[in-house]
Amino acid sequence: MVNLTIDGKQVTVSKTATIYDAAKEVGINIPVLCYAKKLLPYGACRFCLVQVEQMKGRLIPACTTPVSEGMVVTTTSEEIQKVRKTVMEFLLVNHVLDCPVCDKGGECDLQDLAYEFGSISNRFEGVKFDLPTDEINPLIERNMNRCVLCGRCVRVCDEVVGYGSYSFINRGFETKIATAYDRGLNCEFCGQCVSLCPVGAILPRPFKFKARPWQIKEVDSVCGYCGNGCTVTLGVLDNKIETIRFNDEIGVNDGNLCIRGRFGYAYVNHQKRLTKPLVRKEGQLVEVEWDEALQVAAEGLSNAQNGQGVGILSGARLTNEEFFLLKNLAKTIGTDHLDHSGGECYKGVSEGLNETLGVKASTGTFPQLESCDVILAIRSDFWETHPVVGMVVNQAIRRNDAQLVVVADKRGKLTKLPRARTLLTKAGYELSILNAMSKVLLDEGLAQVDGLQNLDAFKAALSEYTPENVAQQTGVDADLLKDSARKLAGAKKSAILLAYGLPYTAQSKELAAAAANLALLAGIPGRAGSGLYLCGEKANSQGAIDLGVLPAGNGLGAQQMLTAAGEGKLDALYVIAEDPISSYPDRQMVEQAMDKVGFSVVQDLFLSATAEKADVVFPAASFAEKEGTFTNAERRIQRVRQGIKSPGEAKTDGAIISALANKLGNTLSFTGEAAIFAEIGKDVPAYAEFNYHEIGSQGVVWGGETLAPTRRNLVSVSAEQPASADYHLVTGSALYHSGTVSVHASGPLAVMPEAYVELGREDAAALGVNDGDLLKVAGNGVEIQLKAKVDNRLPKGLLFAPYHFGNAGLNKLYRGEAVVAVSVSK
Amino acid sequence: MFKAIAKGLSITFKHMLPGHSTTVQYPTVRLKMSDRYRGLHRLVPAQDREKCVACYLCPTVCPAKCITVESAENEKGEKYPKVYKIDMLRCIFCGYCVEACPVEALEMTDAYELANYRREDFEFTKERLLK
Repeated sequence: MVNLTIDGKQVTVSKTATIYDAAKEVGINIPVLCYAKKLLPYGACRFCLVQVEQMKGRLIPACTTPVSEGMVVTTTSEEIQKVRKTVMEFLLVNHVLDCPVCDKGGECDLQDLAYEFGSISNRFEGVKFDLPTDEINPLIERNMNRCVLCGRCVRVCDEVVGYGSYSFINRGFETKIATAYDRGLNCEFCGQCVSLCPVGAILPRPFKFKARPWQIKEVDSVCGYCGNGCTVTLGVLDNKIETIRFNDEIGVNDGNLCIRGRFGYAYVNHQKRLTKPLVRKEGQLVEVEWDEALQVAAEGLSNAQNGQGVGILSGARLTNEEFFLLKNLAKTIGTDHLDHSGGECYKGVSEGLNETLGVKASTGTFPQLESCDVILAIRSDFWETHPVVGMVVNQAIRRNDAQLVVVADKRGKLTKLPRARTLLTKAGYELSILNAMSKVLLDEGLAQVDGLQNLDAFKAALSEYTPENVAQQTGVDADLLKDSARKLAGAKKSAILLAYGLPYTAQSKELAAAAANLALLAGIPGRAGSGLYLCGEKANSQGAIDLGVLPAGNGLGAQQMLTAAGEGKLDALYVIAEDPISSYPDRQMVEQAMDKVGFSVVQDLFLSATAEKADVVFPAASFAEKEGTFTNAERRIQRVRQGIKSPGEAKTDGAIISALANKLGNTLSFTGEAAIFAEIGKDVPAYAEFNYHEIGSQGVVWGGETLAPTRRNLVSVSAEQPASADYHLVTGSALYHSGTVSVHASGPLAVMPEAYVELGREDAAALGVNDGDLLKVAGNGVEIQLKAKVDNRLPKGLLFAPYHFGNAGLNKLYRGEAVVAVSVSK
Repeated sequence: MFKAIAKGLSITFKHMLPGHSTTVQYPTVRLKMSDRYRGLHRLVPAQDREKCVACYLCPTVCPAKCITVESAENEKGEKYPKVYKIDMLRCIFCGYCVEACPVEALEMTDAYELANYRREDFEFTKERLLK
């Protein structure tokens, strides 16, 4: 710690702090433009100049100067003010005066400083630029005439996002920020530069001219897409979400967002949202009043329960409170067939974890990830499914020199990070590599084997998985594999990442167990700072597991329910916040289930492919229209807040479920979310220690920062041999979409409007395919047509297709395998 | 004393003489208002559009909350007021809106005859304000 004096105030700060940080500590505000909390000091704007007693004769920039013992700092004096005013004049020499039409006006740092310094005249003369606006992309508009060259966009894109779109070009007065060859912005559109620009040089296009900052009501909520649980601050005007506001003060994400969080909100305001309940009459879905729809649904469900039973299938985007009500409804109906999100994906993962560690959640928290020494990511898709955690990994590498090892069948954003080591395997062999790494640790005596159960059986089961064998099988370099395993074992703090979702259902339980085995041998679970991160795909995947939205007793799981329904062994299906026909593996099976089942109720935002086949459709509310809590992939319980009213007569899932339970004779009712949350605590002990109203802006983490495993049991798992063919197809998540909801959001759609199949250059050349050509992909006896996308990511023989677009029919082909053997033709 | 009374009354009587009256025969005769009189608003036109750039400063500063602005982008990519409305029934003619305008797109005229028969007629749309 270092002691110094700032404006006569004594302050003690850590020795890595800068003068600016120290001043902030004691509440002294030094004006800045180029400084940003999460970026490295840069010193571009020269606004923060201060006087330091020990460095007389010149002014010192506060944001780049580290503190030293006994420093005496003056932050305001006549001289300093004069210099700052001159800096302001320099900045305004070529700054266009279009504040009235600039969307930043009202929250512009430059405007605020100009007001503070009372800058109304300028001693210097210069030419105002008349550069064209960069409008080639649909989401981010760049007007370089307004730029003050603080470099925040350049730095955030490089340091945090790891994309590197921007750079300074030219010299002197002509300096400007440009993209490669000044061709205009074409990137992953996370919008981090938008949120960090202190002036109106980079602005969100969907928000252009929509409102002024002071008119907007801000509502802090949690993003409804992936399991990262980023805080999104909704900018609401007249009951409509107009934008997502920058907020780095609260939440786990430090103000970072991805394209889905920042531009994916538009589905909430979509015109095609369901606004009235629908009931099938004479083969047609017709709008009816709520009471009638509920009556029809209640009668249908209770009749079915008296017959062969009701299956309830929920998505993982309900709040914890709604899950609780849903479980109650299942009890009221009397059915054990309750499951969520395909059942086989995140549930499988949590079961694998449960067998090895005795817990059903990630053992660390995301902020800890940043200080890890070694990070092992299984599949490169982690960045695509959970982009903001990917940014944390990037920070760990850049700030703390972490070593990233990626076990992946294709390259991606993660493998491109600095010093990332990629163990590029043939598709579907991740499990073998994890087993081989475990074997390396055991054979070389690096494993921490104290207190591990089933060690001998595990050793025996691993005999096949020598690095050499696995290397031959998968194409990974054996030495690289061994070295990676050694690094993982040798690190003081290490992490293993594995993301899950509907397109990754194959061997999910086994893969989770293999990852947990490796984690146990490397001593990760329960060690402070380390963690095994198994992240669910949807906003509340973890909540669904915590609350046990799972088959009870002999109940059927999701896939079994659908199979049973298809065989006529289930009389009703109640599908909530899911579109199984579009997103579940094996569409024929799901369609058959929806066709054959006697009675079906679907509750969703849109008239999805599944809803079109239903007998009753309830219009539900989006995440922005309800109150409650989500539990994110690191066990953090956060408050979801209502920003707007639901369109038409749409109701929250909780309200619909309660109303339906009432119709079925359950008179239990709650006064609100807080009461339900308290009730959850009675069922789920981990939630009992928290009070709904005391969940603060950072949320609360159940089980503590490091979740201690309740058992240390090695479970032998063996890899399935993936099918062999000339071409293999893997499905997965694309960066721009999450699930099937985002295909209704104009932002993500603008970047990725339709399904595609991605192939490597080598394959493209062999097939004579160019970008945009239609390709016929056939496998599992089905042929579909997809647009080709050619790039460098995929090795020879591998195809990738994102699963978000139901109309592309990818799930006709994909039936839950790790890889699908396909044939490809033009 | 009489002298003083006579002097005072002479002023009074002088006003009774023709040509010295302060009363005008409204509506046949009308006064010219002072230059700084705050009457009906007027949106100032520029060459092919209104000068207003829809910056929302006037509705923000308006104490009576009688101004409605909705901005949009025209075909040239400029910001313009798609809707500009003043509810004259609520307006208190304080002139803050004119003072706040950064582009001098709004001014106050000397029109003061604003009485009307229907409520809707007090709603001055952009077209009416541009006249």
